[in-house]
Amino acid sequence: MTTMDTPHKNQNSDSGMSRTVAYEPKGIAKTANYKVIDAIRNGEVPEPTVHPSVQAPDAVIDVQNFNLYYNQHAKALFDIRMKVPRGAVTALIGPSGCGKSTLLRSINRMNDLIDGVRVEGEITLNRSPIYAPSVDVIELRKRLGMVFQKPNPFPMSIFENVVYPLRIDGERRKSVLEEACEKSLRAAAIWDEVKDRLKSSALGLSGGQQQRLCIARAIVADPEVLLLDEPCSALDPVATLKIEELINEISERYTVLIVTHNMQQAARVSDYTAFMYLGRLVEYGPTAQIFQKPKLIETEHYVSGRFG
Amino acid sequence: MTQTMLEPVSPSPAPKPEPAPVVEHKRRRTLPSAIGEPMVWLTGGALTICLTMIVLLFTMVIINGTTTFWPRPIERLELLSGEIVLGIETQHEKATRETEDRTLYRVGNRDIGQQSYRWINDSDVVERTTPEDAVMLEREAWGVWLGIPDQILRADPLAEEPEIIAQGSGAYFEAFDELHAQARADRDEVEQLKKKELGRINSKMARARLNVQQAEIDAARDETELYRFSTPVWVGLAFLALGCIGCLIRFKNYGTEMGSPVARQGKLLRASASMVFLALVTALWVGSPWAGSDLTESDIAMMNAQLLEREQVLQEQYDEVLTRIREIEEYDATLRVSVIEPTSDQFAPTSQTLADQHLHMSQIVRQVRPNTMGFGEKLGVYLSRWWEYLSTFPREANTEGGVYPVIMGTVLLTLLLTIVVTPMGVIAALYLREYAKQGLVTSMIRIAVNNLAGVPSIVYGVFGLGFFCYTVGSYVDVGPSESTRMAVGNWWTLLVVSTMVLIGAIATRLWSKPNPGKLPSAMNIALQRFSWLIWAVGVICVVMLVAGTPYFHGMFEARSSSGTPTFGARGLLWASLTLALLTLPVVIVATEEAIAAVPNSMREGSYGCGASKWQTMRRIVLPGALPGICTGAILAMARGAGEVAPLMLVGAVKLNQDLPIDSEAPFLHADRSFMHLGFHIYDLGFQSPDSQAARPLVWTTTLLFLSIVFALNLIAIVLRSKIRSRMAGPTV
Repeated sequence: MTTMDTPHKNQNSDSGMSRTVAYEPKGIAKTANYKVIDAIRNGEVPEPTVHPSVQAPDAVIDVQNFNLYYNQHAKALFDIRMKVPRGAVTALIGPSGCGKSTLLRSINRMNDLIDGVRVEGEITLNRSPIYAPSVDVIELRKRLGMVFQKPNPFPMSIFENVVYPLRIDGERRKSVLEEACEKSLRAAAIWDEVKDRLKSSALGLSGGQQQRLCIARAIVADPEVLLLDEPCSALDPVATLKIEELINEISERYTVLIVTHNMQQAARVSDYTAFMYLGRLVEYGPTAQIFQKPKLIETEHYVSGRFG
Repeated sequence: MTQTMLEPVSPSPAPKPEPAPVVEHKRRRTLPSAIGEPMVWLTGGALTICLTMIVLLFTMVIINGTTTFWPRPIERLELLSGEIVLGIETQHEKATRETEDRTLYRVGNRDIGQQSYRWINDSDVVERTTPEDAVMLEREAWGVWLGIPDQILRADPLAEEPEIIAQGSGAYFEAFDELHAQARADRDEVEQLKKKELGRINSKMARARLNVQQAEIDAARDETELYRFSTPVWVGLAFLALGCIGCLIRFKNYGTEMGSPVARQGKLLRASASMVFLALVTALWVGSPWAGSDLTESDIAMMNAQLLEREQVLQEQYDEVLTRIREIEEYDATLRVSVIEPTSDQFAPTSQTLADQHLHMSQIVRQVRPNTMGFGEKLGVYLSRWWEYLSTFPREANTEGGVYPVIMGTVLLTLLLTIVVTPMGVIAALYLREYAKQGLVTSMIRIAVNNLAGVPSIVYGVFGLGFFCYTVGSYVDVGPSESTRMAVGNWWTLLVVSTMVLIGAIATRLWSKPNPGKLPSAMNIALQRFSWLIWAVGVICVVMLVAGTPYFHGMFEARSSSGTPTFGARGLLWASLTLALLTLPVVIVATEEAIAAVPNSMREGSYGCGASKWQTMRRIVLPGALPGICTGAILAMARGAGEVAPLMLVGAVKLNQDLPIDSEAPFLHADRSFMHLGFHIYDLGFQSPDSQAARPLVWTTTLLFLSIVFALNLIAIVLRSKIRSRMAGPTV
């Protein structure tokens, strides 16, 4: 869960800064002028730097002037404006507490589960608003698949795990369930490993397998967008690699929005990258540009690990 | 580290630094309090003491409980006074200031006027032998008889002198087994006939009588006060009720779209329609013009005549069975045994009052001849005594015979209480943990529930007796009492008022929730506080409505009018409800913990899949909490099974010939009182007329009680582990 931007947090990253300076005596940081970041730290909401190529009209998700408050004193998202392009992988990066997970969870309204959360602005999914009063949250969540930080298979058989979203829709026909199960397990590249033990407990799988199972579960109902919330942060490098390959494969069929801490991962799997800081969108553009030729010095320093 | 690495390495030879002086680190002394060894000994010792006490307890129960039924030798003692005594040694005592070395003998033969246990000083004994032909007869009545067998007689009532079948102990033993088996079989048949056939006819007769009695009561009831609708009004109200259903169907989807501006109105509309419908159905039911008895006096007279006829038929059947019983008993009475006690040279009598008649063969439950028995034979006797103990009814003020009804009572009570308490506790915990807003009120409820577990159990007994047995029970039997019964006008007013109050409560509840995505307004908060009050008033109204209805006269009016309450007395149902109340906190606490232990990531995963709150609860939370819920049920079971104090007030009795479960409809007679092992132990130990004879049975019963509680727990634990392994599977 993302934390809020409290003054305390601010100070923490300040002290982190000064260490960075000490670390590189001739460093750029000392001379660098973190104009945007400084403005953000001062509580301003600067205009995000958005590359023209992501302003495409055909956005699956369109975040429009979105603000989110955890309570009256803790504002977590500041006027986010962002279009997520169709059929691509978009990564959200940024230091801890920058609101990227909050933004992700705002899209399937998981934040509704937290008492006292209030939002302003609108997000649309395929042009239909998410926060309009007429939206049924349950229906909305069925249009989105979500995978969490820690693999969270349910304590049931592998088969039952995968078909869970269909079961809660009242699907009972065995043939339909079996077909859907196989299809999505194949799509999640785990079919060969589990096809002989579909009836055994999902908790017996390894962490990487569990996460791929969760991906299979997330795509079984054919969602419009797949939301991945740091899907590899609890996995070892080999399992991470497999998931990343899987994301690449899946992105041919689904729009994927992924939150990650790992800059290399963002560089490897995503087509577009958004850099967030303290609840504000800082820079957003094609991954290649963000990582090689960002428009802001802050972004350059962040992706190269010199700040943050 | 980083600093040193970054430092430039200068090639020029630096002056050799002086060797740093060796710093003597002064070691601080280890404090004596830091040495943990004594604590290891202390804690280990404490644990050992606890374990020793527990092991001691169980060993004592097991040893004393298992040796009760082992046949022990009969000794023949010649005393200084010339008296000859047959006895079984049960206890030896060393000399004290007042007494010499002495031994307690079980001498039996209570019916000829002697104590069945007797202390004999060791110095008084001249000779001690174990005669081969000494036997112990376990009899249906009057306890055991110790003696030397002499004859088996066939006392034909027509013949003057009884025919002697076997003379002398040798012939006696030869003939005994076969004749005894035959006599016992006959007796069993008589018992069966008495219990099954006669019981069946009796209960049929009683039922027929009760039916007529009920009809008489119904016909005699003054119903002029009770308001009933006229037919057109009734039909009109029926149409109104149908209209409510129509309204429900018509507005089924009104305001159900998410965020619909009329969502509350829709809900209120449907709820109001349901409430009005319920109220109308109640009104139609109690105010039906066809309700009440329309029997005339001639009808009653006819019923009585029919009853007489029926009674005659049943009486004939009864007599028939009785004749058969007499026949068998008469034949049975001819076969007698003569077993002579050496002290007074008296034979075992039929009973204390018929001291000149020989004992019936069929009165002997078992003959034991311990002095010539090998180990195998003794084992046989031992096992047959256990079987008798477990499978038969008690005799002789519970000091002999079995504890079958006691076991049944205990097991039934425990199962019933578990069946009642588990769903109740789970539902309460589910609401408390998943639905209720966590705050001051829920915390207070939680504390109250936890405190409930500490209330002395006898308090629950008092409550159970006063509330369940006397209040609820008598309501079920004869309807509301004179003091709680409302006047008809008031009742109808209350029906209308409570319908309105409930609708109002729903309305306040609906409008006390903030608009979706908005913070609660001042009006919301005010309504929220208010709505609880209205709910409470509504619930009280409904309770009053039910408790004070003048239209209900009980389900067992006839039986109660003849002085035997059905549910209005102590019984199995009320006992299990009382114990359910007693064990409720255990289930609530365990379930709450189990629900809280279901990881939030599971819930999130489920919500993420598009599941609703209820679906998540049903498919993820409840199955995940199931092992914990089972633990709660097991704990409740263990607590409930061991509880005796409240049972003494709400239903356990010394002796009950009718099992609470039998082959007669409705099979489970929850209104009957029952026997309970815990109470049985108390009764044996402290209320028994022959406490010496009962003492070994106290141990045996304790052992049995422990085993049953243990077995019930074991079954539940095995079930739980099955569930758990099915849920969890192998963990890597």
